[in-house]
Amino acid sequence: MKAYVVRFSKQQRTEHVLVMSTFLVLAVTGFPQKFFEAGWSQAVVNGIGGLDRVRWLHRAAGVLFSLLCGFHIASAIFSVLLGKASFALIPSKKDFSDAITTLRYYLGLSNDQARFDRYDYRQKFEYWGLVLGGLLMVATGYVLLAPILVTKLFPGEVIPAAKVAHSNEGLMAFLVVITWHIYNAHLNPDVFPFDTAIFTGKVSRHRMEHEHPLELDRLDATKGDKKGE
Amino acid sequence: MVQTRISIHRTGLALMGAAFLAAAFSSSLLSAGPVEEERDTCLGCHGDQTASKDLPDGTKVSLFVDVSQLDKSVHGTRVKCSDCHPGTEEVPHPERPVKTFREYQASFREACRRCHFDNYTKTLDSVHYAQIAKGDFRAPFCVDCHGSHAITRPAQPKPDISKTCARCHEKIFEVYKKSVHGKAFVAHNPDVPVCTDCHKSHDIANPHSAAYRLRTPQICGSCHTNKAVMAKYNLSTDVLSTYLADFHGMSASLEKGQTKNQRAVVAVCVDCHGVHDITTVKGEGSRVVKANLLRTCQQCHKDASENFPAAWLSHYEPSWKRAPLIYGITLFYKVLIPFIIGGLVLQILLHLWRVVVNR
Repeated sequence: MKAYVVRFSKQQRTEHVLVMSTFLVLAVTGFPQKFFEAGWSQAVVNGIGGLDRVRWLHRAAGVLFSLLCGFHIASAIFSVLLGKASFALIPSKKDFSDAITTLRYYLGLSNDQARFDRYDYRQKFEYWGLVLGGLLMVATGYVLLAPILVTKLFPGEVIPAAKVAHSNEGLMAFLVVITWHIYNAHLNPDVFPFDTAIFTGKVSRHRMEHEHPLELDRLDATKGDKKGE
Repeated sequence: MVQTRISIHRTGLALMGAAFLAAAFSSSLLSAGPVEEERDTCLGCHGDQTASKDLPDGTKVSLFVDVSQLDKSVHGTRVKCSDCHPGTEEVPHPERPVKTFREYQASFREACRRCHFDNYTKTLDSVHYAQIAKGDFRAPFCVDCHGSHAITRPAQPKPDISKTCARCHEKIFEVYKKSVHGKAFVAHNPDVPVCTDCHKSHDIANPHSAAYRLRTPQICGSCHTNKAVMAKYNLSTDVLSTYLADFHGMSASLEKGQTKNQRAVVAVCVDCHGVHDITTVKGEGSRVVKANLLRTCQQCHKDASENFPAAWLSHYEPSWKRAPLIYGITLFYKVLIPFIIGGLVLQILLHLWRVVVNR
């Protein structure tokens, strides 16, 4: 038996690298615009070579990010249509009970630990946060990219509304990433210093037993069936 | 170059000799100060109303110095003639290689520097000095604004400053006089900005430069955020902060701090409100009154439609009454961000605590 399972497909790994890079560019070129009065913002803008270049990069990365979102959704729709879709990311009742079990365990109220399937409730939360937040960023981003066109169809107030939404949602996404995601992928004692799964696609059986026991059981069962055939 | 002999009128020569003697006596007997002493010597010739000189350009220049003007000046008896006219201690005065009276003035242009070093140095950064350095003597020297023999304390009264500038910048002054600022100026309102409030006096920047344009919000803001002054006219002091909170203000701020590739295409105060022709925000003639606002936006946003001007909140802070959508979204995130991040951090801490306990 192999010591690891392949957890993420090539497509998923590629999407992660692309989202990560665009996110980084968007944050670096976006926050100096939000916190324009701070000294570091000016330093970043001057370092990149001026506001015009910062904006160009932000818009280019934004368009790329929107294409990634579009591709991700399109491929999800296709897999549903082709009957190959996995619904493992859809939130379920179990996620809520898992969350309560986990919190009770953390607080020392119980020794029971939730047994997770392919994605635990935290991963689902982060995934849906990224998708929904990403869509909001894309929508408001395009509004800000074409204010003249947008105000031909919608009232003018949509523009500053998009601006505050874009700016706050971006801040929230960034804060979630630097606290929650960095903790789970790097600082968490279980994976410290670096959870490489999303880059290599591989996770050890040992970790799977701890983190996704239900999925591992199912994988082993399917293999067993195949052997039995 | 044609050399000019500055030779003194014949009667002047005779008077000068007498004055020298008189000055020598008065200094020893009456112990008058060195300023008066030298002045009396000079006035020996220059006190003659008919003293004049022909310059190579064909003009006749009076050499007469009105002593009453000297008495009234701020320099009074504190500054000797030769302090400002160095190199004239010898009589007859050494020749000066000048063709015109303006060139003669230019030859003494740096005389003020000896005492007024700070302000002189500032002028080196001015748009006027840039012209002078190119040899264009139409640009003013110190004495053109401050006066020479009749030099007085500047800004007494303050509005006179604009009249000084108007001597050359006549057309702009005519426009300014009709503006909301200029009308108050005519009515001797001391709150009103005169030319130097926006342009500065000694280090006058090129108003068409990107750097100057990008400084505009702070220039206007220096009065328009002053609560005491603005309250008199029932004007908002939020104009600067609300401008900065918007796309234009953010862009102008970042462009201003740029060390290279600085551009000033973004709208600053004057692009919507006007410069020398600035009006009140209300009333038919205003560019920023609602009826005219679209046209003002279209100066830059050519294809802007009727809805477009409402994208700008007209210097209002968002509130439930004004811009409820924007206020609502801001409030939503003010609650959501701490809630989400707080919750996540709490879960991280609980997890870490559990890990420690399990060990």
